[in-house]
Amino acid sequence: MGVMRMGYAHVRVTDLAEAKDHYANTMGLYETHAEGNKVYYKAWDEWDHHSVVLEEGGVGLVKFGWKVEKSSDIDDIEKKAQAFGVTVERMSKGENPEIGDGIRFTTPSEHVFEVYHEATLVGTEVGTHNPDAFPRHLVGVGVPALDHSLITAEDPGLMDRFLTAVFDFYPTERVQTSLDSDADIIATWMTSNNQIHQLAVLAGPQGKLHHFAFRLGDWVEVGRAADLFSMDDVPIDIGPTRHGITRGQTVYFFDPSGNRNEVFAGGYLAYRDRPMSVWTPEQLGKGVFYHARELNDAFTSVLT
Amino acid sequence: MPTVTIQPTGEVIYLEPGETVLSGLYKAGFAYTVGCRRGGCGICKVDCRSGEFRYDHPVADSVLTEDERADDTCLSCRAVPATDLTIELRGENVRLVSTFLHQINEKARQRAEAHAAATQTAGTTHKE
Ligand code: FES
Ligand SMILES: [Fe+2]
Repeated sequence: MGVMRMGYAHVRVTDLAEAKDHYANTMGLYETHAEGNKVYYKAWDEWDHHSVVLEEGGVGLVKFGWKVEKSSDIDDIEKKAQAFGVTVERMSKGENPEIGDGIRFTTPSEHVFEVYHEATLVGTEVGTHNPDAFPRHLVGVGVPALDHSLITAEDPGLMDRFLTAVFDFYPTERVQTSLDSDADIIATWMTSNNQIHQLAVLAGPQGKLHHFAFRLGDWVEVGRAADLFSMDDVPIDIGPTRHGITRGQTVYFFDPSGNRNEVFAGGYLAYRDRPMSVWTPEQLGKGVFYHARELNDAFTSVLT
Repeated sequence: MPTVTIQPTGEVIYLEPGETVLSGLYKAGFAYTVGCRRGGCGICKVDCRSGEFRYDHPVADSVLTEDERADDTCLSCRAVPATDLTIELRGENVRLVSTFLHQINEKARQRAEAHAAATQTAGTTHKE
Protein backbone atom coordinates (compact mmCIF):
# COMPACT_ATOMS: atom_id res chain seq x y z
CA MET A 1 0.00 0.00 0.00
CA GLY A 2 2.99 2.34 -0.06
CA VAL A 3 2.96 5.18 2.47
CA MET A 4 1.32 4.12 5.74
CA ARG A 5 1.73 7.32 7.72
CA MET A 6 3.76 10.36 8.63
CA GLY A 7 6.30 8.56 10.77
CA TYR A 8 8.17 11.52 12.13
CA ALA A 9 8.19 15.30 12.16
CA HIS A 10 11.64 16.79 12.74
CA VAL A 11 11.50 20.45 13.74
CA ARG A 12 13.83 23.19 14.92
CA VAL A 13 13.47 24.90 18.28
CA THR A 14 15.29 27.97 19.57
CA ASP A 15 15.65 26.74 23.14
CA LEU A 16 15.91 23.00 23.65
CA ALA A 17 15.29 23.06 27.40
CA GLU A 18 11.99 24.95 27.03
CA ALA A 19 10.97 22.79 24.08
CA LYS A 20 11.67 19.61 26.03
CA ASP A 21 9.49 20.87 28.86
CA HIS A 22 6.64 21.54 26.42
CA TYR A 23 6.79 18.30 24.46
CA ALA A 24 7.47 16.07 27.48
CA ASN A 25 5.51 17.73 30.31
CA THR A 26 2.66 19.49 28.52
CA MET A 27 2.16 17.15 25.54
CA GLY A 28 3.23 14.02 27.43
CA LEU A 29 5.64 12.57 24.88
CA TYR A 30 8.21 10.00 25.96
CA GLU A 31 11.87 10.78 25.34
CA THR A 32 13.51 7.81 23.63
CA HIS A 33 16.90 9.20 22.66
CA ALA A 34 19.07 12.31 22.81
CA GLU A 35 22.30 13.13 21.03
CA GLY A 36 24.06 16.43 20.46
CA ASN A 37 21.47 19.15 19.91
CA LYS A 38 18.63 16.69 19.15
CA VAL A 39 16.02 14.94 21.26
CA TYR A 40 13.77 12.12 20.06
CA TYR A 41 10.26 11.39 21.30
CA LYS A 42 7.41 8.97 20.83
CA ALA A 43 3.81 9.18 22.01
CA TRP A 44 2.29 6.48 24.21
CA ASP A 45 0.31 4.62 21.55
CA GLU A 46 3.11 4.59 18.99
CA TRP A 47 5.37 1.60 18.61
CA ASP A 48 8.25 2.88 16.47
CA HIS A 49 11.28 4.47 18.08
CA HIS A 50 10.29 8.11 17.54
CA SER A 51 7.74 10.38 15.91
CA VAL A 52 8.99 13.82 16.93
CA VAL A 53 12.55 15.10 16.71
CA LEU A 54 13.54 18.46 18.19
CA GLU A 55 16.73 20.09 16.99
CA GLU A 56 18.10 23.18 18.70
CA GLY A 57 18.79 26.18 16.45
CA GLY A 58 16.14 28.14 14.56
CA VAL A 59 12.46 27.36 14.05
CA GLY A 60 10.37 25.51 11.48
CA LEU A 61 10.57 22.19 9.76
CA VAL A 62 13.73 20.18 9.15
CA LYS A 63 11.96 17.24 7.50
CA PHE A 64 9.17 14.69 7.59
CA GLY A 65 9.70 10.93 7.59
CA TRP A 66 7.13 8.77 5.81
CA LYS A 67 6.92 5.09 6.67
CA VAL A 68 6.09 2.66 3.87
CA GLU A 69 4.66 -0.82 4.17
CA LYS A 70 7.23 -2.75 2.12
CA SER A 71 10.88 -2.08 1.40
CA SER A 72 10.06 -2.30 -2.33
CA ASP A 73 7.80 0.73 -1.85
CA ILE A 74 10.96 2.81 -1.35
CA ASP A 75 12.23 1.90 -4.85
CA ASP A 76 8.80 2.47 -6.29
CA ILE A 77 8.53 5.95 -4.76
CA GLU A 78 12.09 6.75 -5.85
CA LYS A 79 11.18 5.99 -9.48
CA LYS A 80 7.97 7.98 -9.32
CA ALA A 81 9.69 10.98 -7.74
CA GLN A 82 12.40 10.90 -10.41
CA ALA A 83 9.76 10.64 -13.11
CA PHE A 84 8.16 13.75 -11.61
CA GLY A 85 11.49 15.51 -12.02
CA VAL A 86 12.67 15.45 -8.43
CA THR A 87 16.25 14.60 -7.45
CA VAL A 88 16.30 11.69 -5.02
CA GLU A 89 19.19 10.69 -2.78
CA ARG A 90 19.63 7.47 -0.86
CA MET A 91 19.87 7.59 2.89
CA SER A 92 21.41 4.78 4.87
CA LYS A 93 20.46 3.08 8.07
CA GLY A 94 21.55 5.09 11.07
CA GLU A 95 21.59 8.51 9.40
CA ASN A 96 18.53 8.96 11.56
CA PRO A 97 18.96 7.02 14.82
CA GLU A 98 16.94 3.77 14.80
CA ILE A 99 15.65 4.36 11.25
CA GLY A 100 16.60 2.08 8.33
CA ASP A 101 17.69 2.69 4.75
CA GLY A 102 15.56 4.94 2.63
CA ILE A 103 15.45 7.91 0.31
CA ARG A 104 15.43 11.65 0.75
CA PHE A 105 14.22 14.36 -1.59
CA THR A 106 13.05 17.95 -1.60
CA THR A 107 9.46 18.34 -2.76
CA PRO A 108 8.28 20.94 -5.30
CA SER A 109 7.14 22.89 -2.20
CA GLU A 110 10.74 22.86 -0.90
CA HIS A 111 10.11 20.62 2.07
CA VAL A 112 12.46 17.71 2.81
CA PHE A 113 10.83 14.28 2.85
CA GLU A 114 12.43 11.00 3.85
CA VAL A 115 10.88 7.64 3.04
CA TYR A 116 11.81 4.58 5.08
CA HIS A 117 10.53 1.12 5.86
CA GLU A 118 12.34 0.10 9.04
CA ALA A 119 12.30 1.69 12.46
CA THR A 120 13.33 0.11 15.73
CA LEU A 121 10.25 -1.33 17.38
CA VAL A 122 9.95 0.02 20.91
CA GLY A 123 6.31 -0.92 21.50
CA THR A 124 3.40 1.08 22.80
CA GLU A 125 3.17 1.96 26.48
CA VAL A 126 0.37 -0.58 26.96
CA GLY A 127 2.02 -3.43 25.09
CA THR A 128 0.27 -6.04 22.98
CA HIS A 129 -0.54 -8.75 25.53
CA ASN A 130 -3.99 -8.13 27.04
CA PRO A 131 -3.34 -4.40 26.76
CA ASP A 132 -5.04 -1.85 28.96
CA ALA A 133 -6.92 1.09 27.44
CA PHE A 134 -4.27 3.67 28.23
CA PRO A 135 -1.23 4.07 30.47
CA ARG A 136 -2.21 4.94 34.02
CA HIS A 137 0.38 7.66 34.57
CA LEU A 138 0.14 9.85 31.51
CA VAL A 139 1.77 13.26 31.76
CA GLY A 140 -0.05 16.46 30.74
CA VAL A 141 -2.22 16.10 27.63
CA GLY A 142 -0.83 12.60 27.09
CA VAL A 143 -1.28 12.53 23.33
CA PRO A 144 -1.38 9.01 21.87
CA ALA A 145 0.22 9.75 18.51
CA LEU A 146 1.46 12.19 15.89
CA ASP A 147 -1.37 12.70 13.40
CA HIS A 148 -0.75 15.02 10.43
CA SER A 149 0.75 18.27 9.27
CA LEU A 150 -0.15 21.35 7.25
CA ILE A 151 2.57 22.97 5.15
CA THR A 152 2.55 25.91 2.76
CA ALA A 153 3.56 26.00 -0.90
CA GLU A 154 3.37 28.54 -3.69
CA ASP A 155 1.44 26.04 -5.81
CA PRO A 156 -0.76 23.69 -3.76
CA GLY A 157 -2.13 22.25 -7.01
CA LEU A 158 1.36 21.11 -7.97
CA MET A 159 1.78 19.49 -4.56
CA ASP A 160 -1.59 17.79 -4.98
CA ARG A 161 -0.36 16.30 -8.26
CA PHE A 162 3.02 15.45 -6.76
CA LEU A 163 1.57 13.62 -3.75
CA THR A 164 -0.88 11.81 -6.01
CA ALA A 165 1.78 10.71 -8.47
CA VAL A 166 4.58 9.87 -6.03
CA PHE A 167 2.86 8.81 -2.78
CA ASP A 168 -0.40 7.57 -4.31
CA PHE A 169 -2.22 10.00 -1.97
CA TYR A 170 -5.71 11.19 -2.80
CA PRO A 171 -7.44 14.43 -1.84
CA THR A 172 -10.32 14.20 0.64
CA GLU A 173 -11.15 17.91 0.66
CA ARG A 174 -10.00 20.96 -1.23
CA VAL A 175 -10.38 24.72 -1.21
CA GLN A 176 -10.73 25.94 -4.79
CA THR A 177 -11.30 29.35 -6.34
CA SER A 178 -14.58 27.99 -7.77
CA LEU A 179 -16.37 24.75 -8.62
CA ASP A 180 -15.17 24.93 -12.23
CA SER A 181 -12.87 22.19 -13.43
CA ASP A 182 -10.14 24.74 -14.22
CA ALA A 183 -10.33 26.35 -10.77
CA ASP A 184 -7.13 27.04 -8.87
CA ILE A 185 -6.44 24.88 -5.82
CA ILE A 186 -5.91 27.07 -2.74
CA ALA A 187 -5.50 24.19 -0.33
CA THR A 188 -5.70 20.40 -0.38
CA TRP A 189 -6.09 17.71 2.30
CA MET A 190 -4.48 14.41 1.31
CA THR A 191 -4.13 10.87 2.59
CA SER A 192 -3.21 7.36 1.54
CA ASN A 193 -5.75 5.51 3.65
CA ASN A 194 -8.83 6.03 5.87
CA GLN A 195 -7.22 8.76 7.94
CA ILE A 196 -8.92 12.01 6.89
CA HIS A 197 -5.59 13.69 6.14
CA GLN A 198 -1.93 12.93 6.61
CA LEU A 199 -0.69 16.06 4.93
CA ALA A 200 -2.46 19.25 3.93
CA VAL A 201 -0.98 21.94 1.71
CA LEU A 202 -2.07 25.57 1.83
CA ALA A 203 -1.13 28.38 -0.57
CA GLY A 204 1.71 30.39 0.93
CA PRO A 205 5.48 30.66 0.92
CA GLN A 206 7.63 27.70 -0.06
CA GLY A 207 9.14 25.45 2.58
CA LYS A 208 7.15 26.69 5.54
CA LEU A 209 5.42 24.84 8.36
CA HIS A 210 1.89 25.84 9.35
CA HIS A 211 1.48 23.22 12.06
CA PHE A 212 1.94 19.60 12.98
CA ALA A 213 -0.78 17.86 14.92
CA PHE A 214 -1.21 15.25 17.61
CA ARG A 215 -4.21 12.95 17.77
CA LEU A 216 -6.82 12.99 20.53
CA GLY A 217 -9.96 10.93 21.06
CA ASP A 218 -12.86 13.35 21.34
CA TRP A 219 -14.20 16.79 22.33
CA VAL A 220 -13.63 16.14 26.02
CA GLU A 221 -9.97 15.43 25.49
CA VAL A 222 -9.61 18.50 23.28
CA GLY A 223 -11.19 20.65 25.98
CA ARG A 224 -8.97 19.16 28.65
CA ALA A 225 -5.91 19.84 26.47
CA ALA A 226 -6.93 23.51 26.21
CA ASP A 227 -7.26 23.66 30.02
CA LEU A 228 -3.73 22.30 30.35
CA PHE A 229 -2.44 24.89 27.87
CA SER A 230 -3.79 27.61 30.12
CA MET A 231 -2.19 25.97 33.16
CA ASP A 232 1.16 25.81 31.38
CA ASP A 233 0.94 29.27 29.73
CA VAL A 234 0.94 27.79 26.23
CA PRO A 235 -0.27 30.45 23.75
CA ILE A 236 -3.53 29.26 22.17
CA ASP A 237 -4.00 30.43 18.59
CA ILE A 238 -7.62 29.28 18.30
CA GLY A 239 -10.01 26.82 19.86
CA PRO A 240 -11.29 24.59 21.15
CA THR A 241 -13.35 24.64 17.97
CA ARG A 242 -14.18 22.48 14.98
CA HIS A 243 -12.80 22.52 11.48
CA GLY A 244 -15.55 22.49 8.85
CA ILE A 245 -12.96 20.84 6.64
CA THR A 246 -12.33 17.27 7.92
CA ARG A 247 -14.90 17.91 10.72
CA GLY A 248 -12.04 17.54 13.21
CA GLN A 249 -12.15 19.07 16.69
CA THR A 250 -9.15 21.15 17.40
CA VAL A 251 -6.96 23.52 19.35
CA TYR A 252 -4.18 25.39 17.57
CA PHE A 253 -1.39 26.47 19.90
CA PHE A 254 2.30 27.33 19.83
CA ASP A 255 5.34 25.58 21.21
CA PRO A 256 7.90 27.68 23.14
CA SER A 257 9.75 28.50 19.90
CA GLY A 258 6.62 29.62 18.06
CA ASN A 259 6.07 26.49 15.97
CA ARG A 260 2.33 25.91 15.70
CA ASN A 261 1.04 22.64 17.11
CA GLU A 262 -2.47 21.22 17.02
CA VAL A 263 -4.44 18.65 18.93
CA PHE A 264 -6.95 17.06 16.57
CA ALA A 265 -9.82 14.69 17.32
CA GLY A 266 -12.43 13.06 15.15
CA GLY A 267 -12.62 13.62 11.45
CA TYR A 268 -14.66 11.21 9.39
CA LEU A 269 -13.31 8.10 7.65
CA ALA A 270 -11.80 8.75 4.25
CA TYR A 271 -12.27 6.43 1.28
CA ARG A 272 -10.81 6.61 -2.19
CA ASP A 273 -14.26 6.35 -3.75
CA ARG A 274 -15.90 8.96 -1.52
CA PRO A 275 -16.61 12.10 -3.55
CA MET A 276 -14.23 14.86 -2.53
CA SER A 277 -15.62 17.82 -0.58
CA VAL A 278 -14.94 21.21 -2.16
CA TRP A 279 -14.91 24.54 -0.32
CA THR A 280 -15.04 27.89 -2.06
CA PRO A 281 -13.47 31.12 -0.76
CA GLU A 282 -16.69 32.77 0.47
CA GLN A 283 -17.12 29.93 3.00
CA LEU A 284 -13.44 29.42 3.80
CA GLY A 285 -13.81 30.98 7.27
CA LYS A 286 -16.40 28.34 8.14
CA GLY A 287 -14.30 25.63 6.52
CA VAL A 288 -11.31 26.37 8.70
CA PHE A 289 -12.98 27.54 11.95
CA TYR A 290 -16.50 26.18 11.95
CA HIS A 291 -17.74 28.27 14.89
CA ALA A 292 -16.01 31.66 14.51
CA ARG A 293 -16.64 31.37 10.72
CA GLU A 294 -13.91 33.89 10.22
CA LEU A 295 -10.30 33.37 9.27
CA ASN A 296 -8.08 35.06 11.80
CA ASP A 297 -5.10 36.98 10.47
CA ALA A 298 -2.71 34.46 11.93
CA PHE A 299 -4.09 31.49 9.95
CA THR A 300 -2.45 32.53 6.71
CA SER A 301 0.38 34.73 7.99
CA VAL A 302 1.85 32.96 11.01
CA LEU A 303 4.25 30.25 9.86
CA THR A 304 7.65 28.97 10.89
CA MET B 1 10.63 50.83 35.55
CA PRO B 2 10.58 51.16 31.81
CA THR B 3 7.88 52.93 29.89
CA VAL B 4 6.98 52.35 26.27
CA THR B 5 5.74 55.29 24.24
CA ILE B 6 3.69 54.32 21.22
CA GLN B 7 3.88 56.63 18.23
CA PRO B 8 2.18 58.36 16.57
CA THR B 9 -0.38 58.82 19.37
CA GLY B 10 2.21 59.30 22.11
CA GLU B 11 0.39 56.91 24.41
CA VAL B 12 2.68 55.94 27.31
CA ILE B 13 2.55 52.44 28.77
CA TYR B 14 4.16 51.32 31.99
CA LEU B 15 5.93 47.93 32.01
CA GLU B 16 7.01 45.75 34.89
CA PRO B 17 10.75 45.07 34.91
CA GLY B 18 11.51 42.05 32.71
CA GLU B 19 8.20 42.27 30.87
CA THR B 20 8.20 42.10 27.06
CA VAL B 21 6.87 44.98 24.98
CA LEU B 22 4.03 42.81 23.68
CA SER B 23 2.88 41.52 27.03
CA GLY B 24 3.11 45.04 28.48
CA LEU B 25 0.94 46.50 25.77
CA TYR B 26 -1.60 43.70 26.08
CA LYS B 27 -1.69 44.07 29.82
CA ALA B 28 -2.40 47.76 29.35
CA GLY B 29 -5.45 47.00 27.24
CA PHE B 30 -3.98 47.35 23.76
CA ALA B 31 -4.05 44.86 20.89
CA TYR B 32 -2.28 44.57 17.58
CA THR B 33 -1.50 41.82 15.15
CA VAL B 34 0.43 39.01 16.79
CA GLY B 35 0.94 35.33 16.07
CA CYS B 36 2.93 32.84 18.07
CA ARG B 37 3.90 35.19 20.93
CA ARG B 38 7.04 33.06 21.19
CA GLY B 39 9.45 34.69 18.76
CA GLY B 40 8.92 32.23 15.90
CA CYS B 41 6.77 33.89 13.27
CA GLY B 42 7.98 37.50 13.04
CA ILE B 43 4.47 38.97 12.75
CA CYS B 44 4.87 41.19 15.80
CA LYS B 45 7.76 43.33 14.51
CA VAL B 46 7.61 47.03 15.35
CA ASP B 47 10.13 49.83 14.89
CA CYS B 48 12.06 51.09 17.88
CA ARG B 49 12.46 54.88 17.48
CA SER B 50 14.45 55.45 20.65
CA GLY B 51 15.78 53.53 23.65
CA GLU B 52 17.44 50.17 24.17
CA PHE B 53 16.05 46.67 24.55
CA ARG B 54 17.34 43.13 24.69
CA TYR B 55 15.83 39.80 23.63
CA ASP B 56 15.02 37.48 26.49
CA HIS B 57 15.37 34.34 24.31
CA PRO B 58 17.43 33.35 21.28
CA VAL B 59 15.67 34.51 18.10
CA ALA B 60 15.93 32.39 14.93
CA ASP B 61 17.76 33.80 11.89
CA SER B 62 14.67 33.04 9.80
CA VAL B 63 12.72 35.47 12.02
CA LEU B 64 15.24 38.33 12.27
CA THR B 65 17.76 38.91 9.51
CA GLU B 66 21.22 40.25 10.17
CA ASP B 67 20.07 43.68 8.96
CA GLU B 68 17.04 43.64 11.21
CA ARG B 69 19.24 42.93 14.23
CA ALA B 70 21.17 46.11 13.44
CA ASP B 71 18.35 48.45 12.40
CA ASP B 72 15.27 49.66 14.32
CA THR B 73 13.42 46.34 14.11
CA CYS B 74 12.02 45.19 17.43
CA LEU B 75 10.44 41.75 17.74
CA SER B 76 7.93 42.88 20.31
CA CYS B 77 7.02 39.50 21.82
CA ARG B 78 10.64 38.85 22.80
CA ALA B 79 11.92 42.40 23.40
CA VAL B 80 12.45 43.47 27.00
CA PRO B 81 13.21 47.19 27.42
CA ALA B 82 16.57 48.11 28.95
CA THR B 83 15.63 51.81 28.95
CA ASP B 84 12.46 53.71 28.18
CA LEU B 85 11.41 52.93 24.61
CA THR B 86 9.54 54.68 21.86
CA ILE B 87 8.02 52.32 19.32
CA GLU B 88 6.02 52.69 16.17
CA LEU B 89 3.82 49.99 14.68
CA ARG B 90 4.15 48.98 11.06
CA GLY B 91 1.18 49.66 8.83
CA GLU B 92 -1.35 49.69 11.63
CA ASN B 93 -2.09 51.32 14.94
CA VAL B 94 -2.58 49.75 18.31
CA ARG B 95 -6.21 49.29 19.18
CA LEU B 96 -7.36 50.08 22.68
CA VAL B 97 -9.50 47.03 23.44
CA SER B 98 -9.88 47.46 27.19
CA THR B 99 -10.23 50.88 28.80
CA PHE B 100 -10.37 49.13 32.16
CA LEU B 101 -6.86 47.61 31.79
CA HIS B 102 -5.71 50.92 30.36
CA GLN B 103 -6.80 52.78 33.51
CA ILE B 104 -5.09 50.23 35.74
CA ASN B 105 -1.85 50.63 33.79
CA GLU B 106 -2.12 54.41 33.98
CA LYS B 107 -2.50 54.27 37.76
CA ALA B 108 0.46 51.89 38.05
CA ARG B 109 2.55 54.31 36.03
CA GLN B 110 1.55 57.27 38.20
CA ARG B 111 2.40 55.32 41.35
CA ALA B 112 5.78 54.27 39.90
CA GLU B 113 6.57 57.84 38.92
CA ALA B 114 5.58 59.19 42.34
CA HIS B 115 7.71 56.52 43.98
CA ALA B 116 10.68 57.35 41.74
CA ALA B 117 10.31 61.06 42.53
CA ALA B 118 10.11 60.32 46.28
CA THR B 119 13.26 58.18 46.28
CA GLN B 120 15.05 60.84 44.28
CA THR B 121 14.28 63.59 46.80
CA ALA B 122 15.34 61.20 49.57
CA GLY B 123 18.76 61.34 47.98
CA THR B 124 19.04 57.76 46.72
CA THR B 125 20.03 57.12 43.15
CA HIS B 126 18.63 53.60 43.20
CA LYS B 127 16.65 52.89 40.11
CA GLU B 128 15.10 49.60 39.10
S1 FES C 1 4.23 36.95 17.65
FE1 FES C 1 5.40 35.49 16.53
S2 FES C 1 7.38 36.37 16.62
FE2 FES C 1 6.26 37.68 17.94
FE1 LIG D 1 -4.35 20.22 11.28
